[in-house]
Amino acid sequence: MTPASGGRAEAPRHAEPVLSIRGVSKHYGPTQALTDVSLNSWRGEVLGLIGDNGAGKSTLVNIIAGVVTPDSGSIVVDGVAERLTSPAGALERGIETVFQNLSLIPTLNITENIFLHREIYGPGRFWSALRRMDRSAMQSKVDDGYRRLGLDLPPPTTKVAALSGGQRQAVAVSRAVIWERKVVVLDEPTAALGVKQTALVLAFIDRLRDHGVGVIFISHNLEHVQQMCDRVVVLRLGRKVFDSRLADTTGRELVERMTGAIAASESL
Amino acid sequence: MSCSGSSTPTGSDPIAERRRQVRAASTVMPDEEMRGVSDPIDVQAPVQSTRSTSGERRPSMARYRLLGWAQQNGMFFALLLLCVFFALRSDNFLTITNLSVIAGQAATVGIIAVPGAMLVLSGYVDLSVGSLMVLAAAVFGQVFEAGTGTPGAVLAALAAGAAWGAVNAAFISGLNFSPIVVTLAGLAGARGLAEVLTQGRTVSQFGEGFSRLARSQLLGQRAPVWIAVAVFAVGFYVWTVGPWGRHMTAIGADEVAARSVGIRTRRIPAVLYIGSGLSAALAGLIFTSRLDGASLSIGVGQELVVLSAILLGGISFTGGRGSLLGVLSGVLFLGVLQNGLILIGVGVFFQNVALGAALFFAAALDAAYRRLERLPVGVDERQGILADPEVGGRA
Repeated sequence: MTPASGGRAEAPRHAEPVLSIRGVSKHYGPTQALTDVSLNSWRGEVLGLIGDNGAGKSTLVNIIAGVVTPDSGSIVVDGVAERLTSPAGALERGIETVFQNLSLIPTLNITENIFLHREIYGPGRFWSALRRMDRSAMQSKVDDGYRRLGLDLPPPTTKVAALSGGQRQAVAVSRAVIWERKVVVLDEPTAALGVKQTALVLAFIDRLRDHGVGVIFISHNLEHVQQMCDRVVVLRLGRKVFDSRLADTTGRELVERMTGAIAASESL
Repeated sequence: MSCSGSSTPTGSDPIAERRRQVRAASTVMPDEEMRGVSDPIDVQAPVQSTRSTSGERRPSMARYRLLGWAQQNGMFFALLLLCVFFALRSDNFLTITNLSVIAGQAATVGIIAVPGAMLVLSGYVDLSVGSLMVLAAAVFGQVFEAGTGTPGAVLAALAAGAAWGAVNAAFISGLNFSPIVVTLAGLAGARGLAEVLTQGRTVSQFGEGFSRLARSQLLGQRAPVWIAVAVFAVGFYVWTVGPWGRHMTAIGADEVAARSVGIRTRRIPAVLYIGSGLSAALAGLIFTSRLDGASLSIGVGQELVVLSAILLGGISFTGGRGSLLGVLSGVLFLGVLQNGLILIGVGVFFQNVALGAALFFAAALDAAYRRLERLPVGVDERQGILADPEVGGRA
């Protein structure tokens, strides 16, 4: 266990959160999955979202990704209230969600995956109208993204099937950066990875923060959360029971919040 | 780019501090904890194998590329080899007349195979095409006999094919019925409907105008060949120039992933089924024009011929892999094989053996490629994600 990072400086905060979830509730039949959950994500900040199984993490991720529509509450992106009713809608508003399955197609190459269903058309209005793909534009955008992020992946024409788990994760996340998303939600990005691959992915998340992206990091692994996050939100039984700068808490406290050893009423 | 632009000037100290912590921590991460939560979906992520440095049993990038390329384009070269073989064995093979005959025979298969291959690429299949050919012929014959004239009868036949395709689409895309079962039902049902419509009678003698569909010539080739060329041109646009080929590949490879990036995983196959019905009806009309009769023998077994051509062309039957050049090669390979074996005097029985052997070879290549795909390629311990030597070098 790494010691709870005392000397860590607070992430730079803009005046407004880039993504703000306000009082969101969702029930499936008789099951109340989320009750009045609010949280904020700022640019250049990694927000850890943790909780036991059934705490409502997946539901919250699906709401942010536009897969699930909440019963009540609102979502504010860059100060504008939005209704996220579809995955495409969430993407349009600058929110990229990287699910555990990564949504990569193994038989397509890296560039094809990054631009899947967001192909660049052209050149010119005529070809755009005819939906002709502008391959060179996509290629150069990927090259540019590799450079900007300092990525050392196999060439963009490599099929995803040939990549390692960490490399796939990097492709899925770099998709978000190449598309200049404001918020990136990472659902258990290290779950299927070995030690070294995990270290690379964590270092890569660090770069996302450097690029001013708001990162929401969902993990079972408290250790990774403590390494990576500036702030932590704990969900328990569908409610937010804790929201604190990481520097102001300890691993023990987080565990206690997750398991309910410290009552919800005492929290923020 | 706006991403880098939007990041505010943050004191570089805390970031550097954090980086150091991340790196320091990554070296002491206990292995067990990392594996504790395993992802059931990404099982083929080649994690463990990255540890071995020797790399035995791991194909090189070049070999992987070569095999992939062979799987995609192998049939094109097999086709060339086959042509050379027949040209050496028979003087009549490489003549303009004979090549035109091959093109004419391959044309109808090709017209159906283009949407058919797109369906297989997307993980679907249409087995009803042979019966839709005869249904279109029967509808044409009946409507023609009712006295609407040729254009009306042609439109009615095409509409019948498209409508049956739409029914296939409704059940398969709309109600999630099994593609094989639904189109197998169509295979029986459409032919049965044709028999009911005609009562077993063959309507014939459609006149000069309709015979032009099969017989009129341009630049030495008959109309069906040019229709097939047009269909392939449209197919090329859809598959390679526009984005839909990638989308179909994605649907065939991983439908859930395709949906989550926003691809309309139901609409695309639905459109393809309608296109498949339409093209089968068109091919049925070409046969009707050729025979000058709406015979019930039209289209028997054609669904298997078309599917063979598609699979020979390297389209994976499980979906997610294939190219249009492969389809064209598969269609022509089949045409050349049938034609050439007749020319060199091999019996009909052996023709089917040769086709079977070719299909078997295509299946083997597909299996080899799929196995290869699972193996990590060119991933070794030094190959990381980040170019930064400090981080990447550690990996």
